[in-house]
Amino acid sequence: MQYMLLIYEDERIYGPDRESPAARARRAQHIAYSRELGATRLAGSGLKDSTAATTIRTSAGQQTIHDGPFAESREQLGGYYLIDAPDLDAAIAIARKVPLSQNGAVEIRPLLVPG
Amino acid sequence: MTSAALDRVFRDASGRIVAALASRFRDLDLAEDSFADACARALEAWSHEGTPRDAAAWLYRTAYRCAVDTLRRRRTEHRFAPELQRHSSEEQPMPDEWTPIPDERLRLIFVCCHPAVAPDARAALTLRLVCGVSTREIARAFLLAEPTLAQRLIRAKHKIAQAGVSFEVPGPEAWPERLDAVLSTIEIAYGRAHEDAAGSGPHFNYAAEMLEVTRVLAELLPREAETAAMAAIVRFAEARRPARVDAHGMMVPLADQDPAAWDALLIIEARSYLERAISLQSCAPRVLQAGIHAAWCARRSLDDPPPWSEILALYDRLLTVRDDAIVRLNRAVALAEVRGVDAALAQIAALVDQPLADFLPYHAVRADLLCRAGRRDEARTAYDAALALVTTSAERLWLKRQRAALPE
Repeated sequence: MQYMLLIYEDERIYGPDRESPAARARRAQHIAYSRELGATRLAGSGLKDSTAATTIRTSAGQQTIHDGPFAESREQLGGYYLIDAPDLDAAIAIARKVPLSQNGAVEIRPLLVPG
Repeated sequence: MTSAALDRVFRDASGRIVAALASRFRDLDLAEDSFADACARALEAWSHEGTPRDAAAWLYRTAYRCAVDTLRRRRTEHRFAPELQRHSSEEQPMPDEWTPIPDERLRLIFVCCHPAVAPDARAALTLRLVCGVSTREIARAFLLAEPTLAQRLIRAKHKIAQAGVSFEVPGPEAWPERLDAVLSTIEIAYGRAHEDAAGSGPHFNYAAEMLEVTRVLAELLPREAETAAMAAIVRFAEARRPARVDAHGMMVPLADQDPAAWDALLIIEARSYLERAISLQSCAPRVLQAGIHAAWCARRSLDDPPPWSEILALYDRLLTVRDDAIVRLNRAVALAEVRGVDAALAQIAALVDQPLADFLPYHAVRADLLCRAGRRDEARTAYDAALALVTTSAERLWLKRQRAALPE
């Protein structure tokens, strides 16, 4: 099955331009992690700060464009991996190793189309 | 065969058959529906031909055939749906009269108690699929409307299917967490059966199921201390059931129960599970909890003094491996007997920041201690808080009597 791993963290710890020492260190960890995943990793990337986000909200069929992310929250979507894993337990084992700061979350979502 | 006897046959066969089908076809709904189909066919066929010699094997073969038929039908309906091509059941021979039903209940227990399943659904799902308890009975035991519980089960099964929860028994790296999820689920399920001292009506049947499921788990995982301890705990607690209610239907506190009324055979069984648990890992939390039950059940008659010092010592050890509000509350009960009511009240006062407002034993224990300390008005308030939460008649009668006995 294919699973999306959605990474949520408080983005402030990495600084707005993602060039802080914390951001660099985390990036190096992600590169090493991606290498370790090998063919299990189908895709993945970090995302720019949620201040760079633009949201198109459709309400009663009417589209409006907003500055900012879809939902304001303490932790923001900061990156994702698309992986191929035989089952949820395997996906959990992979998701547990996603580089993360002291506080954060990785949401595991199976893809609708079976891979 | 009477319909009650038939129900018994169906229920006894259900766990093993549903588990075997679920494990074979990796589909809980298909397993459950096929078993229900087989039971419906049995009612029809057995009324003409009589009950077969091995009723479970008959049900298994029939349910297996129903499952394969369903899959064939689905495949014809969705000829090009690729996800259905995986179930190439015809390659495997159909079970015949000599095929034993494979015991896949352990896999099914781990599926039902997977941490990815909502905690409030795990116990219900285990009771339903592994123990064959009806949705109506589970709903009554959990004090839920039947449609609410049914919805919860549907959601849980949907999650298991959609998220790709594995039907494998977990490997060593996930083992401690996953086994703990299983044992906690059984604690919740058994807690429901145990809350009601009278065990009348809704809980009665499934207290028996808990004896069965803990036996199966201890048998399938013979090297785990806590599965053996869990089997011991359920047996010690069930052994005391006959003494938990008096002739007027009122709860009898543990220290006032007549040991002569306890079930001696269950206690012997419990002890042998506990001995095995201790030989494997004597300081695991559930092993210590079983030890506390064993200390109580060692009492021969009401003339023997209650073993409070031993109980307190065991709670002290338990606190070093499992420090939570419930352990502290139970320890306070023993502390009151050994070191006095004030020491116990001080311990309980330290629990104020815990989420215990809706926890009946907290208010009941506190009320009793306050009463013994001569703080009557506070005791009365605490009894009122307990009475507002109590749901079972035996406990309500006892609390009412305690409250009424408070001197003005």
